[in-house]
Order: sequence, then C-alpha cells, then structure tokens
Amino acid sequence: MKYLIRRREMVVFLAVLFISAVIYLNNHNFLRLENIIDILKANTVLGIMAMGMLLVIIMGGIDVSVGAILAAVTVLIGNFMLTWSDNIILIFLIGGLCGATLGMINGILIAELKIPPIVLTLGTMSIINGCILYFSKGVYINNLPHSFTEFGRLTLFRIPVGNGVMVGFPVQIVFFLTAAILTWIILKFTLIGRGIYAMGGNPDSAVRIGYNRDRITIFLYSYMGFMVGLAAVVYTSIIGLVGANNFSGVMLQVIAVVVLGGTNILGGAGTVFGTAMGVFLMAIINNGLVLMHIPAYWQKIVAGMVIIIVASIDVIQRKHSERELNKVDL
Amino acid sequence: MRKYSKEWFLLGVLLILIAIMSFLSPDKFLSFDNLQSMAFQLPEFGIIALAMMAVILTGGINLSVTAATSLSGILAAFILAGFNAAGVNILITIPVAIVVALITAIVCGAINGLAISYIGVSPILVTLATMTLFEGISLKFTKGDAISGFPEKYYYFGNGTILDVPVPLIIFVMVIVIAIILLEHTPWGFKVHMLGYNPKATALSGIDTKKVLFKVYLFSALLGSIAAIIMTSRYNSAKVDYGSSYLFQSLTAVVLGGSDVTGGYGKVMGTVIAVAILQVTSSGLNIFGINRNITDIITGAILILVLASHYINIHYLQYQRLKKSIKQKKDII
Repeated sequence: MKYLIRRREMVVFLAVLFISAVIYLNNHNFLRLENIIDILKANTVLGIMAMGMLLVIIMGGIDVSVGAILAAVTVLIGNFMLTWSDNIILIFLIGGLCGATLGMINGILIAELKIPPIVLTLGTMSIINGCILYFSKGVYINNLPHSFTEFGRLTLFRIPVGNGVMVGFPVQIVFFLTAAILTWIILKFTLIGRGIYAMGGNPDSAVRIGYNRDRITIFLYSYMGFMVGLAAVVYTSIIGLVGANNFSGVMLQVIAVVVLGGTNILGGAGTVFGTAMGVFLMAIINNGLVLMHIPAYWQKIVAGMVIIIVASIDVIQRKHSERELNKVDL
Repeated sequence: MRKYSKEWFLLGVLLILIAIMSFLSPDKFLSFDNLQSMAFQLPEFGIIALAMMAVILTGGINLSVTAATSLSGILAAFILAGFNAAGVNILITIPVAIVVALITAIVCGAINGLAISYIGVSPILVTLATMTLFEGISLKFTKGDAISGFPEKYYYFGNGTILDVPVPLIIFVMVIVIAIILLEHTPWGFKVHMLGYNPKATALSGIDTKKVLFKVYLFSALLGSIAAIIMTSRYNSAKVDYGSSYLFQSLTAVVLGGSDVTGGYGKVMGTVIAVAILQVTSSGLNIFGINRNITDIITGAILILVLASHYINIHYLQYQRLKKSIKQKKDII
C-alpha cells in the first residue's frame, strides 16, 4: 500500500477520482456510460499522441513539431482519399508512414547534428507548417469519401445501459488502447525501451553500457511521428473534415498531459499508466466543466489552476518522501 | 587562434542578409519607409524575446510570457479606456495604466516564480498551466472583444517619433541596455548564469538559488509588460490574442541568438541580432511579394542551418586543435 502511495502517478490518479466525485455531485450525468465513452472518444487523439510523446520525454527530449506533423498528415491523407483510394487500411498505412517519415527526419537531424531537440523541432515545426499552408493554400476538404466518414461512426459492439438503450463502443478507442499497449510493451519488454530509460537517466552511462544513442533517438522520433500519423487518421475520422489547422494548442496539451502523468521532463522516469491518467484528468476537467454549465473562460482558468495544484502536490509529496528516506539512512 | 564567437557569426549572417536584400531591391528595402516600419515592428518582438531569454538562461522556459503580456496589456487598457471615458486628466491616466500593467506583470511573474522556485515544479509545466490560466483571465475580462478608446496621447508610445527615430525603438534600446547591465554586469546576472550552468553547485556555493530564480521570472514578466504597453499603444487597442504569435517566434529568436536551451549561456546582443535577422527576413521577403508561408519555411531553415553551422564550426575547431596537438607531440618525439 505504501508502495502504491509513493508512486508518482498516484497523485494524478487520486486527482482524477476527486474531480470526478466533485463533478458527479453536481451533475449525475457525468458517470453515465454514454458520457464516459464520449469523453474517451473525444480524447483518443490526445491520448495516442501522448503515448508517442511519453517515450520522447522519458529520453529527455521533446517534440514541439507534433502539431505540425498532425496537420501535415491530415492534409496528406485527405488528398490521398480524394485522388487515389478510400481503402481504410491503406489510409492508415499511408498516415502512419507519412508521420513516421517526418518524425524520422527530426530524429536523424537530432542524432547527427546534435542540435537540442526543442530547437530542432521548433525549426521543423515552422518549415512543415509553412509547407502545408503553401501547398494546400488553406483550402478545407469537406467532401471526404462516404466509406471513411462511415468508418468514423463505426462502433464495435453495443453495451446495454438499461431501459433498452444501447451504447456503441467507438472504434477510435481501440486505437488508443492499441497505442497504449504497444508503448507499454516497448517500454517494458524490449531492449530499445530499456535503452530509452537508460538514456533519459544518464546518457553517458547508457552509451558506455553499449546502447546506440543515435539509433534509439531515430527510432524514438520515428515512433513519435508514427503515433502522430495514427492520431491524424483518427482525428480526421472523428471530425470528418480536413484543413490546414493550427495545432499548436494540441501540442502544448500533449506535453502537459505527459508531464502531469508523473513523467520527469528531464528524462529517465515515466509510465504509460501515468500518462493515461494525465489524459483522463485533462479530459474530465474539460468535460466536467461543460456539464456543470461553466463558461468557457472559466474552463481555462480551472484547467490552469488544477495543473499547478496537482503538480505542486506531486513535488511536495516527493520532497517529503525523499526527506524520510534520508532519515532512514542516518 | 581566435575564439569562435556565435555572436559575431550571427552579425555576419545579418549583414549578409541585409546586403542581399539591398542588392536585390535597393529602392524598396533601403527606403526610409521600410526601415522605419521595421523599426516600429521590431521592439515588441525583441522585448518579448529578451523576456524569454532571461528564463532560458536558467535552463527553464516561459511559455506564459505572451499570455502575461496580453493580460497586463488588457488590464492597462481597461484603466485607459475607463479613465478616458470619465474624462480624467491624461497625466493621471497614463501613469496609472502603466503602473497597473507593471503590477499585473509582477503578480503573473510571482505566480510562476513561486511555483517554479519555491515549490520546485518543472518550468515547462508551470508556465503551460499559467499560460492557460492567464488566457482564461484575459477572456473573462474581455469576453474576446478588443478594448479601445484610449486617450490620444497614449498613441505616442507605439507610434510616435523623436527626430524620425520611433519611440518604441528608443524604449527597446533602453531595455537592451538595462538587460545587458542586469544580466551581464551585476552579481545577480552572474548568479543567473551560474544557476543555469549548474544549479546544484550554485546552491552548494551558498547562493539562495530560489530567490535568484524567483527574480528571473519577475524580470521576465516585467519585460513582458513593457512590450504590452508598446503593443496596446501601437494597435490602439487590447485583445487576448495580441502577441500570441510571438511565443514560438521569441523562442526561435533566443535559440538562434546562440543561447543554450539547457541554460548557462546566452548573450543579450545575440538575441537582439537574431530578432533583427528574423525581422529583416520577413520584411525583405514581404517586399519581394513572396508568400507569407514561404517566410515560415525560410525562418525554420535559417534556424536549423545556423545551429548546424555552430555545431560544425565548434567541431572543426576541435579537430584543428587535435591535429595541432598531435603534430606537436610528433615534433617532440
């Protein structure tokens, strides 16, 4: 039990429970299955991208170009659907590949030129954003093929919620779960995953042990790109519209949920569970405030304050436990 | 052997850029109007970039800088518009508005500083949160509308000229001088650099790192409020999203200016030159009628190229040194 409380993710988990309880007391609709599924569906994009960002941040890097890559892939698949094929599997393949390629460019440049990731991705963000706007000319595509929009509304199975009403389980959530499980497996069971933790903890020691820094970096950013590509297809399937949006807000949210989930921004620590909790926390704050009929500007104020408070509690608690550890040593 | 300096390299890049632009279009780029319009656009961006730089020196980041800027601008705008409508003398209105902007900045900076230095939360998370927080507060006050109806004299801060030199440029030069003195010639500035280079060693050498860090965030927010005064005056109104596009641009300028994002190194002049490079690029390309999006692409490319050349230069120098030392050893043998 003590072990559980000491874990960094627990603060976020408790915050999720506490805020859920507060919202539930105000509006009983909050815990209805339909609402929960809606929350999950609306936040799959954030969740999938957070899984990629988790790996990058564990290694001590950061990728601010995710918003640009997301926009680039949505525009690319939008045009692909119109001109070539509306085969779902092909679209996912193309989306993932395009994302991975853009991510790989980031990875190769970071590994070869040794430019700090935040700087390099800032540069590629600007380049990619410029390219999208220049080539798409800011035109929106709203006549996506029928089969794709149908796919966006696809539900896998139905869950009865009483009174003979059935709730469908949206296909998008499956992608989030797949991304989370895949990331968990990579982090837990593969050499590269262990290498990511080692690199984040102490790059020099990790290189001396025999991890290939460049190879891990390139893999990492490609994986990040792949996740963003996947998220782009899922996003398009939910929105049903393609356009050169500015996703810089999304990028900041992705970083926020990963760090909120107990991931050390300096690298070396972080878990899939914590990140998922970070996503949930962000999701329920946004959804709950809507259910409580609170104006939009309050949502921003509350979201900002909750992040600061949760992060502060986490840090204070960690300092406290460190002090206790020192006592034992003495 | 001369030491390789990032700032001189940047100055070279700037001069080459200006030379290319003037060569390609001497009548337009070097015209008085264009130079003056650049001088009007540069200061607000430059001051925000300096605000960002001070924080990056400590190894942190301030994503809330533009949100705090627009919040202090908005609160000052309420005073300006309200007092103006009530017919209060401008000699009272304008100082009160400026004081309100500065106080707002101090409060914003103190929130960041408290959470980052005294509690110890990572800067990127705190400033992300305060960014949304300040945006929310700004939205609560304005409901998304622009506030206007300022006294006429207030216009002077952003649009006036003294002997053909724009007033904002004069304010910018003053800010640069203050920043150079504070960050590069005072004990506090030295401590800021130390803190960025090695926080643990700084704390162990008896420096109150928390206090130093707290002041950095105050300094950053105060610079932001100066930018807010120029911006509200230049647009003659205040709105939530004024200046929000400067967030990543200022980060770009700081990094282009040679500052180390991990902290410990950064020169005020480097940032200023980088701001000038970005301004010359965007104004120059604008004159040639090149698409705004191409400018984004070129800005990103310049950023990566300059940083890559820093890397190559440093490695080339190391290689030369290595060759020299090997040769010396051979001579001895």
